[in-house]
Amino acid sequence: MYQFRWISGLLLGGTVALSGMSDARAQDAYKIGMSAGLTGYAATVDRAWRDGVEVAIAALNAEGGIDGRKVELVVEDNRSEPQDAVTAYRKMISSDKVRVFASGCVSAGNFAAAPLVARAETPMVLCSILPQQPDQVKWAFTTIPPPRFEVETRLEYIQKRTQIRKIGVLHDPSPYANAQKAAAEKEAKDYGLEIVGVEQYKTDDADLSVQIQKMYAAGARAIIKIGLGGTTLTAAKNIKQLDLDMIMLTSLEDIAVFRPVAEVLGDKFFFVASPSQVYDGLEDSPLKTEIGKFLKPWRAKYKDRDPNWAGRGWDAVMLIAAAARKAKSVEGPNMRDALESMDNFQGTTGLYHMSATNHQGITENPLLLATITGGQIKVVK
Amino acid sequence: MNSFNTIWAKGRGDRATWLLWGLAAAFVAYTFATGGYLIAVLQFALIYTVLVTGLNIFMGFTGQVSFGHNAFAAIGGYSSAVLTTTYGWEPLPACLLGLAGALACALVVGYPVLRLRGHYLAMATLAIGLIVYEVAVQWQSVTQGYMGISGIPPIGIGSFTIASDRALLVFLMIVAALAMLSAAGIRRSRLGRAFVAAAGSEDAARALGIDVARYKLTAFMISAAYAAIAGSLFVHAVGFVSPEVFGLPMVVMSFTMLYVGGIGTIAGPALGAIIISVLPESFRTFKDYQDLAYGAALIVILIYAPRGLASLPELSARWRRRSA
Amino acid sequence: MISTATTTRILEVEGLSARYGHVEALRPVDLHVDEGELVAVLGPNGAGKSTLMNAIMGLVPTQGRVRFRGREVPRRAPAAAAALGIVLVPEGRGIFAPMTVAENLELGAYLLNDRHEYARRHARVLAMFPRLKERLSQTAGSLSGGEQQMLAVGRALMSEPKILLLDEPSLGLAPRIIEEILQKLGELNRQGLSIILVEQKAPLVLKLAQRAYLLSVGSIAAEIDPRTIKSHDELVQYYLG
Repeated sequence: MYQFRWISGLLLGGTVALSGMSDARAQDAYKIGMSAGLTGYAATVDRAWRDGVEVAIAALNAEGGIDGRKVELVVEDNRSEPQDAVTAYRKMISSDKVRVFASGCVSAGNFAAAPLVARAETPMVLCSILPQQPDQVKWAFTTIPPPRFEVETRLEYIQKRTQIRKIGVLHDPSPYANAQKAAAEKEAKDYGLEIVGVEQYKTDDADLSVQIQKMYAAGARAIIKIGLGGTTLTAAKNIKQLDLDMIMLTSLEDIAVFRPVAEVLGDKFFFVASPSQVYDGLEDSPLKTEIGKFLKPWRAKYKDRDPNWAGRGWDAVMLIAAAARKAKSVEGPNMRDALESMDNFQGTTGLYHMSATNHQGITENPLLLATITGGQIKVVK
Repeated sequence: MNSFNTIWAKGRGDRATWLLWGLAAAFVAYTFATGGYLIAVLQFALIYTVLVTGLNIFMGFTGQVSFGHNAFAAIGGYSSAVLTTTYGWEPLPACLLGLAGALACALVVGYPVLRLRGHYLAMATLAIGLIVYEVAVQWQSVTQGYMGISGIPPIGIGSFTIASDRALLVFLMIVAALAMLSAAGIRRSRLGRAFVAAAGSEDAARALGIDVARYKLTAFMISAAYAAIAGSLFVHAVGFVSPEVFGLPMVVMSFTMLYVGGIGTIAGPALGAIIISVLPESFRTFKDYQDLAYGAALIVILIYAPRGLASLPELSARWRRRSA
Repeated sequence: MISTATTTRILEVEGLSARYGHVEALRPVDLHVDEGELVAVLGPNGAGKSTLMNAIMGLVPTQGRVRFRGREVPRRAPAAAAALGIVLVPEGRGIFAPMTVAENLELGAYLLNDRHEYARRHARVLAMFPRLKERLSQTAGSLSGGEQQMLAVGRALMSEPKILLLDEPSLGLAPRIIEEILQKLGELNRQGLSIILVEQKAPLVLKLAQRAYLLSVGSIAAEIDPRTIKSHDELVQYYLG
């Protein structure tokens, strides 16, 4: 009977543990929920996002919380999987009674949970793209800029600062990369540029020379690379091995990834940067002031760890705090309406212009183009 | 009927059997009454019960191996998703077309692949899963790639839809029960005996005039049908589908459920699906150590019940005899 | 040679050979079985006895011909051979351990679709092996070795074979059990069933068999008349050539 008792004990224990987590303190604290891919493919980005959210909440609580209420964070790991995300969201809604979500960047997970989040009338501030259904978008807000901004920054640089007129687009199949690719295809001609090749790769590809050579042969002298991870270094090495006369401009990412790339390609390598990543090179502005407020506790805790994704997390919490103060209520519908009124809200990424028709607050391109020379990050635009 | 009992629980530890089932029933009743997110956990567990029950027909009864049943779940799931959202079909005909698609795919793929045995069969089936995953990612005009398809309506017929969580839970309980009963029926039928014979000794079965290749293919197709239904149920329950839903984690999960529950038994897949779904939830309070605790629990189960939880009553009966 | 002029042949094997990849497991073999005859195939371990049985059954790729009552038996089609009435009890018995005794017997009559005929055969097999009757609902894996062998023979009889191929039924059994099983086989043979009995333990079967083939290293070394074998030593001489 030993084994049997063990299993039954386990089951009962688990059940008791679950039911024991009642909402005794729910009245006191203002609970923010987060479904994040702490493990799985989104781990790097979502861990940074979570740490940014935690730093922001600590800063809020140090000043007495939101209208005297302590802010409490409930984090659930969704393993970067949609099914786990659904379970995590439901748990936070029904067991933890969170009032609002500051969720991570796993689009599929946020999409999968969007119907039930809308049904529970709980707003969510995300770092992924927004769900597609109108009734779901109503409850979702995002801190990321429209994908086209990353493309436009690069197209503008090529147009104004180089003689190159033929370019290639190299992207992975993620939704965000696809959106950028679509933007590039649509807008290139507005910048007097011609896209002579669009090539796709997989995030685990170990060689991209075929794609790169094809685009070079078609006349491309600049590559717009869209997508995260080690493939950026792979592409750089391929360009160098093939000894091609072309520049590469990559999307926004952790700057740590770019340092070895810069060692390979030198001044032929450019990357899109968010303002917080190039803080020291910024001129004084309300933007710089806000980034400074975030970077002080961030650097105290994490030294020179990349602040990009964490800065978005900070923005999400600050948006939520401002909305909660304005709404003077923790009820979902009131919070939602207040979030929709967050116009001219200064965040670390840029100025947010939330409205009833626009839940993607960043409407002016805040992104910069930078390069690394001699180990120093330099803004070129 | 005696033989049926043996198959059902693989043993006669009657009291223990009833206790185990009583416990499961109590848990379901508790969840049903209190509501909350455990309903979602249980819904997934029941959908997995259908998937794993099908897998058990191919792996448990027929003694083959497949790492690619996520492919058939994906075919079912995507058929339901695309036909109901893009073309405005009713869920039921969409599900049936997905089922037909999965059967056709299983026939075409199974015919050459099932000549392989052991590791080679495992590799080939793994490839099927990866190929279907890749198609779901790349065929963007239909599947929307990684963006996924949202707004999939809940299950229902005509104007009657199963919208509430509790109604869905009840519906899934009925479907899972039907899946188990049909598997028990197959196991007891002429067909099922041929499956088990092929698993026992292919040569002996062939020497008795059993066309082993044909029965392997039949088992493969039947299990693919269960997977397709599970895939359809999943997308309707969640309302969203993207390739990740039917990725490798689904394969790992269904294997864990099959072995923890008890491969080759009728009750095993359901027991495994429920335990494997609920176990991580019991450890959620452990935060960062959740995976560690879950892994440790799995090891303990597999050490003490190496033939799965469905064999526990048998083990406990033996223990009682020894101490008596 | 023994005269077969007055009897009809149930099985004729002509130039039957088998190979696994590049290894020739069975060199071309000729043999025949007359109606109602019990023929023993003797030979040491590795002589190719099991391969010969599998080859006749069509379980392995072969060359050569097998004729059953004058009709060609299709190659690589064990189901067709079984339908003709050629049934093999394989080496190691090949019982289906997770299934009950009853289910194992049912599988023996897999090609049959007649309830009454099924009941008749079932009763006949249980009458022959009463011990199986007590164990019908037990899993076959829980039976003793001797009972498993009885089940294997009983299962084969469920298909009402015209000729029964037995591959080393004595393997791993106690002498008393072997005796009992051989006695049943003799009984079946007296009822008119043709049998090919493969054995390593030659003295046991020579009492039973009407004729014997001696197989060594993949081909027939000799055809012998059991009545002429007076002693064990004489047989050893055959083995050694």
